Amino acid sequence: MSTLKTTLTGYAGYRGREGHWAFLLHRITGLGVVLFLTIHIVDIAFVYFQPALFLDALALYQTTLFGIGEIALIFCVFFHGVNGLRIAYFDMFKPGLWSIEMQRKTTRTTLIIAIILWLPAAVWMVRNILLHNYGIVLFGG
Amino acid sequence: MAATTETVRRVKVKPNYEMIAWKWMRYSAFALIPLVWIHAILQDVVVGVHAMDLGYVAERWASLFWRVFDALLLGFAFAHGVNGLRQVLNDFIHGEKGRKILNWSLFIFWLAIFLIGAIALIGGVNQQFPLE
Repeated sequence: MSTLKTTLTGYAGYRGREGHWAFLLHRITGLGVVLFLTIHIVDIAFVYFQPALFLDALALYQTTLFGIGEIALIFCVFFHGVNGLRIAYFDMFKPGLWSIEMQRKTTRTTLIIAIILWLPAAVWMVRNILLHNYGIVLFGG
Repeated sequence: MAATTETVRRVKVKPNYEMIAWKWMRYSAFALIPLVWIHAILQDVVVGVHAMDLGYVAERWASLFWRVFDALLLGFAFAHGVNGLRQVLNDFIHGEKGRKILNWSLFIFWLAIFLIGAIALIGGVNQQFPLE
C-alpha cells in the first residue's frame, strides 16, 4: 500500500512542469484509450458471437453521454499519438535532444498540434449528436 | 573553472525482454499513427455511430482491405495498449514475484481479448442475408 501512496504522491507532487504534464497526460490518455479499446474489441466481437448484443452496444454509443465520451476519446487518440511520435522520434533518432528546454518547447507544440487535429473532429461530432439526438441542425443538415 | 571532458563510448548491450518491449512500443507507435487515426476519423467522425448497424459492419468486412486493416489494428494497438498498461502498473508493483504475477495476468488478459477479436474478425457478421 505504501508503494501506491509513494507513486501517486510522486505523480502529483513532482514539479517538472511541461515534461511532467506530458508524462501524466500521456498516461491518462493511454489508459483511457486501452480501456475503450478492450470494450470495443468485445463489442465488435458481438457481431459474430451475439449480433443482437452488438445492436444494444450501438444504441448505447449513440446516447449523448457516450457521444461526449467519444469526443474525449478522439482527443486522447490525437494527443497520445502526437506525443508518442515525439517520444519515439527523440528516443530513436535524436536522443541528444532530451533536454529540459527542448521538452518544454516540444510539449507545447505537441498540445497545440493535438488540439488543431481534434477541434474540427469535435465540432463535427457535436453536430452529429445535436442532429441525431435532438433534431437540432447546426450546419450541414 | 575546472575543464570537463566528455567521452562518448558506444557499448553493445545484449537485448533482453524489457529492451525489446521498449523498442516495440516505438516501432508500433509509428505504425499506429496511420492505423488508429484513419480508423477513428473514418468511423467516429465521417461515418459516425448513428449511421452504423450490422449491415455496415458486414459491408465493411466484405472488403479484404478493411479486414486486413482491422487485423493490423487488433494486432498492433491492443498489444501496444496492454504493454503500456504493464508499464504503468510497474510503477506500483516493485517486487519480483508481483511483477511475475502481473506479467502473466496481463499476458492471459491480452491473449483472451485478442482471440475473441480475431475469431470475430475471421468469422464475420453472424447473420443470414439480407440483414435485418
